[in-house]
Amino acid sequence: MATPATSDKSARLGALLSRIALGDQAAFGEFYEVTSAHLYGVALRILRDPPAAEEILQEAYVNVWHHAGSYEVAKSQPLTWLSSIVRNRCLDQLRRRELDTVTLTSDDDDAPAHDLPSDAMTPVEMLVAGAEARSVRDCVDTLDAGPKQAIALAFYQGLSHSELAVHLHEPLGTVKSWVRRGLERLKNCLDRAGYARNE
Amino acid sequence: MNLSRPDRLSRLDALAAAYVLGTLPGRARKRLAHVAQTDTVVAATIRAWEQRLAPFSEAAPPITPPPRLWRLIALRLGLAQVRPPAPGPWWTRVAIWRGFALASFTAAMALSVLFLMQKPELPGAPIVVVMAGPDAKPALIATMMRGDRTMTVKVVGGAPVPTDRSLELWMLPDGAAPRSLGLVPATGVGRVTLPAPPDVALTGVPALAVSLEQAGGSPTGAPQGPVLYSGKVERFY
Repeated sequence: MATPATSDKSARLGALLSRIALGDQAAFGEFYEVTSAHLYGVALRILRDPPAAEEILQEAYVNVWHHAGSYEVAKSQPLTWLSSIVRNRCLDQLRRRELDTVTLTSDDDDAPAHDLPSDAMTPVEMLVAGAEARSVRDCVDTLDAGPKQAIALAFYQGLSHSELAVHLHEPLGTVKSWVRRGLERLKNCLDRAGYARNE
Repeated sequence: MNLSRPDRLSRLDALAAAYVLGTLPGRARKRLAHVAQTDTVVAATIRAWEQRLAPFSEAAPPITPPPRLWRLIALRLGLAQVRPPAPGPWWTRVAIWRGFALASFTAAMALSVLFLMQKPELPGAPIVVVMAGPDAKPALIATMMRGDRTMTVKVVGGAPVPTDRSLELWMLPDGAAPRSLGLVPATGVGRVTLPAPPDVALTGVPALAVSLEQAGGSPTGAPQGPVLYSGKVERFY
C-alpha cells in the first residue's frame, strides 16, 4: 500500500543504485543528494553527536559505493534498506557506548538533542506523522499513550528499556511489556489491514 | 517458514521486532544479527519488521548534513567529483563564480611567485589564467602571447587523472555555453590552439575551466563530466 510518491522515489533510488553499481559518480552524487538529509536525521536523533553521526553516514555511503550491486530490489525498498543499515550501526554504537560509560545520572535525558532544531517534532508526533496511510494511522491509534510513547522514543531516539523506564518514570517491567505488547498489537493490526510496503 | 513450530516463530518475531526497534539488549542483538547472516527465515523476519516500521522512519524530519560530509566521502573514495551535482549545468552555478574571488587571491600569489622565479617557459606572458579547484590551490596555468594563437598549459598541481579519463579545457563565455579548447595533458606541459588570437578569442570570455571527461574528451561538444578547476582570464598589458 505504498503511496505513489513513495514508489516513485523508490524506483528512482533503485535506478540510481544500479548505475552506482557500474561506477557512475553522477548517480552516486544524486543518490547522496536525495538520501543524506533523511539518513543524517535518523543518525543524529539516535546518537545526538554530529561527528559520530557524520562518521556513520560516511561509512554507509562508502558501502553504498562499493556494494550497490548487492542491493536486492525484490527484498526491500532502497531507503528502507539504507535506513536500516544506518539505524543498526547507530544502535550498535550507542549500546557499545553505554557499556563503556556507567550512567550515573539521567539528567540529560530531557535535554534537547544536540544540533536538533528547537521546534523539532516529538517522537510521538513523528510516529503519528508516519501513519500517513489510513490503515497505519488506525493502528497507531489503537496503542495506549504509554506504549505509544515508549515505542516512539525507542525507535527515534534509540532509548533502551532501562532508559525508557527512567524517562517515563515507570518500572522496567512495565516498560518492557508496553513495548512488547505494543509492537505485537501494531503488527497484528497492520497485517490485518493488509498493509505491506513491498508486496 | 516452518509453521509447525508456532512457538519458535512468535518468539523469533518478538526478537526481530525488538531488534528493529532497537530495544533488544546488546548481546542478544549481536547474536540475532549474526544468525540473520546465514538464516534466511531470521533475515526475512527482521526485514518484515523493517518494512512495517519504515513509514515511521520516513516521517521523521530530515536534517541536512554539513557540506564537509560529502567532500570527505568523495575524498575517501577518490571520486573526481568534489561536490554533489546541483540542478542545472555546472557552469551556471554561482559557487564556481564565487570561487573566483578566493582563487584570484591565490592566483595573484602564484603569479607573483612565478614572475619572481622567471620561469623560462613563461617569458613575461601577458595573458595568464591560473585554474584552481575548490581548495584554491593552482592546478593548471595557461599562458598566451598577444597575437599568438598557441596557448601553453602547464600542470602544476591538482588530483591525478585516472588513465581512462581526459582533462578538457573550456572557455566560459559570458551568457553562453562553454566552448571546448581541446584536451590538456594530465601532467607536464601541453599546447592548445585557439580559434583566433587571444584578444579576439577571449573577448567576452572572463574565465576558463577544466572538466574531467571520458578518454578523448566529451563526445557531445558540451561538458559531460565534473568541473575540476577554473580560473579568471588575467591580462597584464
